[in-house]
Amino acid sequence: MNLTLITTLWRQRLTSAVRMAVVAVLCGFPLLMVTFMPAMGMTPLGNAQGIMLALAAGMIGQDVSSGVLQLLCARPVRRSEYVVSRWLGVALAGLAISLAQLAIAGAVLAARGAPPSPQQMALFAATRAFECFGLGAVMALLSSLIGGFGDLALYLIASVVGGVLQIAGQAKHWTWMDRLASEFQQTLTPTLDLQRLIAASPMPWFPIVSYLSAVALALALAIVVMNRKELSYASG
Amino acid sequence: MTGIQVEGLTKTYRRGLAGDRVRALADVSLAIAPGEAFGIIGPNGAGKTTFLGCLLGFLRPDAGRITIDGRPPDDLAVRSVTGYLPERLVLDRWMTGAEFLAYHHALARLPSDSRHVEVEAALERVGLAEASRRAIRGYSRGMLQRLGLAQAMLGRPRYLFLDEPASGVDPAGVVLFRRLLSELARQGVTVILNSHQLDQVERVCDRVAFVKAGRVEAIETVAAGAAHARVLRVRSADGPALTRERLAALAGESGAALVDMNGREARFTVADDAGAARLLQTLIGAGVPIAEATPEESRLERLFLESAPEATGPATPPPSASPASPRGPA
Repeated sequence: MNLTLITTLWRQRLTSAVRMAVVAVLCGFPLLMVTFMPAMGMTPLGNAQGIMLALAAGMIGQDVSSGVLQLLCARPVRRSEYVVSRWLGVALAGLAISLAQLAIAGAVLAARGAPPSPQQMALFAATRAFECFGLGAVMALLSSLIGGFGDLALYLIASVVGGVLQIAGQAKHWTWMDRLASEFQQTLTPTLDLQRLIAASPMPWFPIVSYLSAVALALALAIVVMNRKELSYASG
Repeated sequence: MTGIQVEGLTKTYRRGLAGDRVRALADVSLAIAPGEAFGIIGPNGAGKTTFLGCLLGFLRPDAGRITIDGRPPDDLAVRSVTGYLPERLVLDRWMTGAEFLAYHHALARLPSDSRHVEVEAALERVGLAEASRRAIRGYSRGMLQRLGLAQAMLGRPRYLFLDEPASGVDPAGVVLFRRLLSELARQGVTVILNSHQLDQVERVCDRVAFVKAGRVEAIETVAAGAAHARVLRVRSADGPALTRERLAALAGESGAALVDMNGREARFTVADDAGAARLLQTLIGAGVPIAEATPEESRLERLFLESAPEATGPATPPPSASPASPRGPA
């Protein structure tokens, strides 16, 4: 982990007007729903997928295709350190925005007379954390594979393919395809349903192991891809 | 083992996804001593930038070995003593010049307590002190190159790799670059300079490698250029004009030869620097009021033309040059 790389990523994201506008819309719209429909509680906040995609798009590929990475790699910085720092930077930024959104939603709901319980708030925050670190790792892998914002395109294509396979599996009653598509979707957007995990007894280890292995595998593959990458001008 | 050692370096690229492999470097071997200023020159597409990419560990050679201070070029210990200025400098344009240098100062793992002072000094050194608080997106190409050189010099690197450093730099910047590079070379920094500007290479470098089609055609010391034949253009001031025959005779006395004469300007072939000195002495002794004497090519141009004459393309002899002229293609 390299603090310089992490803080630079944050500043880079903050200075991107388009990115910040997308994040503001993705955060603001659910908050408006919370404000005007307090009976729905925190449900309108949904998940962190949109925010994370807005923050993570091009997290590595942009540096590769622009040539910025070449200058960075001339410094005593391991490529694995770079990948992990980009992942942490994006995930922590997504988590910080999620927590801010959660705090505002909690305050609004309290003001409207429907305050969420501390347990609800904690579960929401923890779930968002798992989403941010999970999707951040997958985006790091996709971004190491393709230059520019190609990672976003890859993610969207893979999501559509996964969705189509799932629908086809359900329509044809092919349980194997339905299961395969479901696993694929979960690998693409790794997360943990904490509410279900806590309620279950005994603790179901499969989703935990599945989540951790998806994150670790995505990061390991991203590091391998980056270590094998040759850097020349506009090599993306 | 210190310095840079390159043994049998070969690098090929695949053209397109399923295309043929193109050879960028073929069996390149050379050694660069610590503290040496080493130039790499050659025509476009010769493999110079690929060579620099391999030296920096950005590209993996197909065969051969590179060591810097006895370690592979991508070793972190090597990177911590290396500075690099790419030809096409791409920066995070939202940063200010000072922020960019502070960022690289931190990446270079230099002590944070000296960061501010060293960044300010580096900006001052390249003449960007006044623009240091401006966003890089407002910098001109020349300012970007200056900033790039400042980041390459951060932390007093022992090895400095420069790829076309003065590209897009204004004349004042070119002079500044030349002065800074000469200073670094005097301080014992090993400078590896890839440049098309032969005069810059000549002024900065001790030795030069001529690269063509992925091969090192020759490695020469810049001083060796003094021992090569050349054409000297001599212009005389107002005064009694000498006849062509008289000038040819005077040239013959000093071991030179008259090539042609046009009014008060004459061109002579001389064997080397000593021959040029003898010719000028003879002409002055004969009362020729010499106002200017200029070699037609720099020492490095001569070396380049003689070591890799075909590198410059088809020969086009000057219209007035005699067949006896030792000049290569212009």
